[in-house]
Amino acid sequence: MDTARSAAQSVRLEGLRKEFGGSIAVKDVTLTVEPGELVTLLGPSGCGKTTTLRMIAGLLPQNGGEIFFGSSRVDHLPANRRNVGLVFQNYALFPHMTVSQNIAFGLRMRHWERERTATRVAELLSLVRLEGLGDRKPSQLSGGQQQRVAVARALAFHPSLVLLDEPLSNLDAKLREQVRLDLRDIQRETRQTTIFVTHDQDEALVMSDRVVLMNTGVIEQVAAPRHLYLRPETEFAARFIGANNLLAGRVVKGAVVVDGIEGAFGSYSVPDGAIDESVWLCVRPENIDFFAQPPVGSSPNPRVGATVADIVFQGSSVLVDLDVRGVGVMRAEKSAILVGDIKVGDSIEVGFGGAHIVARTAA
Amino acid sequence: MSVNDTFVGGKRKPYRRGWGRDRVAGTLGSTALGVYVGFIALWMIFPMLVVILASLEGTFDISLIPEKLSLDSYAQIPQSYWDSFWFTLWISLAATVVALVVAVPAGWALVRGRLRERRIISNLVLVPIIVPQLILGIALLGLFIPLQLKNTFLGIMIALTGLNLALAIRFTEALIQGVPEEYELAAQSLGAGRFTVFRTVVLPVIAQGIIIAGLFIFMQDLISFVILFFIAGPSTTPIAIRLFVDIVQRGVLPYAVAMACVLVYVALAFYAIVAFIFGPKYLTGAPVSRKG
Repeated sequence: MDTARSAAQSVRLEGLRKEFGGSIAVKDVTLTVEPGELVTLLGPSGCGKTTTLRMIAGLLPQNGGEIFFGSSRVDHLPANRRNVGLVFQNYALFPHMTVSQNIAFGLRMRHWERERTATRVAELLSLVRLEGLGDRKPSQLSGGQQQRVAVARALAFHPSLVLLDEPLSNLDAKLREQVRLDLRDIQRETRQTTIFVTHDQDEALVMSDRVVLMNTGVIEQVAAPRHLYLRPETEFAARFIGANNLLAGRVVKGAVVVDGIEGAFGSYSVPDGAIDESVWLCVRPENIDFFAQPPVGSSPNPRVGATVADIVFQGSSVLVDLDVRGVGVMRAEKSAILVGDIKVGDSIEVGFGGAHIVARTAA
Repeated sequence: MSVNDTFVGGKRKPYRRGWGRDRVAGTLGSTALGVYVGFIALWMIFPMLVVILASLEGTFDISLIPEKLSLDSYAQIPQSYWDSFWFTLWISLAATVVALVVAVPAGWALVRGRLRERRIISNLVLVPIIVPQLILGIALLGLFIPLQLKNTFLGIMIALTGLNLALAIRFTEALIQGVPEEYELAAQSLGAGRFTVFRTVVLPVIAQGIIIAGLFIFMQDLISFVILFFIAGPSTTPIAIRLFVDIVQRGVLPYAVAMACVLVYVALAFYAIVAFIFGPKYLTGAPVSRKG
């Protein structure tokens, strides 16, 4: 490994803000990324994630706020002096240069000696498993290979920070699954502080140490993938991550009452910001329990009658659309083995064991 | 054969690949298209063929079966023609190079600088081409006489450069718009300053397109006539004007035809060089490959 390797740095955003002609694209984003951490900015298109990334890279000036790498403030520096490795959605490999020349570009800009450059390029070609392709032109490579060259180019000069802007969206679905694991391995091996932008929640959940969920220029929730998935804290998070069923309810004396369902759900406290104690009861498709008979004795959670409306077999799991009495259509996802021989039109009882609540906020 | 022939007693004959209605229409259509394209090609090549044939026969009484072909009329080209020819070649080359050196960075700045006034500027730049050259010629004459630039190499070069700039900036703008901005952003993030980005990424990527643009501009200059008619003089006569004056005064002489053919050969030679260096697709297709 090269001796000039710098220790991973933290990144801190303080009240970062960006406006485009009067409309706010990024609003007071404050975030700390720990050294060596891989953080994903996740959100629908137009949520401000790419704008945030470009401000960190120095390609867009911010309208307010501060950016720190480690303890030094960098937001006054132009892009070429921030020492940031950037991977673009379309890779932006220089078409007139070979793979090796592309990877060496950042080193050339830093006036590395020829031998040191050659050693480092060879090191990176092996890191991204492209040994022997150094003399090819980018146009002679497949999409996946081009993507790896772009990653190698961004890592070559030991950047303080690596930024990836939807780097997987130009790959076909099968390759994408492989490459995101590759990227995660490379990141774990190099321990580079990395910020990854994507609109794909699977990518975010698979790759990240922490996920920053953004919506309309604001951070909705920052959490580890597992936490974000199991405990979304806002209505947006609950709707965006996974395919939650949301039931409108209210907190009454420490229990949740759902309109249309008899009985109350467990014990919950009213979340912050809830208006009129109104909440959403979030039920993950995999948390809907099926029962063949009505309950015997008392149960902590109410059970409701439902009719099977549709069944979609997907291999390892089965999607079951249920017409739940008093509530409407809900979607359940069960392991194919556990579902048994349910048919469309069957009447069953369902319960919602692993449900949790988030505040219903004024729209 | 009519459409109804394919139905017998209301029963449809089994479909047979062959001269169905669509097939006939398709064949007629593509034949017509072929003839049309052929005519256009002939229309463009015909004058050139006539002149080249005339130069070899030494007369405009062209017979389809030429009796004697010779290079005599080429040998008769007077020294004054060759002087004009070389003068035109050098001044066109100089005016093209100067125009490109100025226009390429300017075009880049126009596209990437995100000037609000960009549309206005890039249209203003076209004025020398849009305005009749007659007007420009007269205006330049009025300007050059007091400046003593009439009948000088510099004066003619300035005039040609003005025209060339218009084309060169427009060409550059189009070329740079074809280059994804991410190339430049990537280079910046890798540590390149703006000038280095231009030198190491933008310029090499558009180089082929620029060279072809240069070729077109150079050829325009080679045959430029109207604007130079006003500001040229006895010691600085471009070849197009030399030919025109001679033909008006003495009629179409064989060596004048031969000289015109030399210009055709120069043009063809430049095309051949470009085709040889970049491959023929660069003369026909997009000047910049979008495949990254």
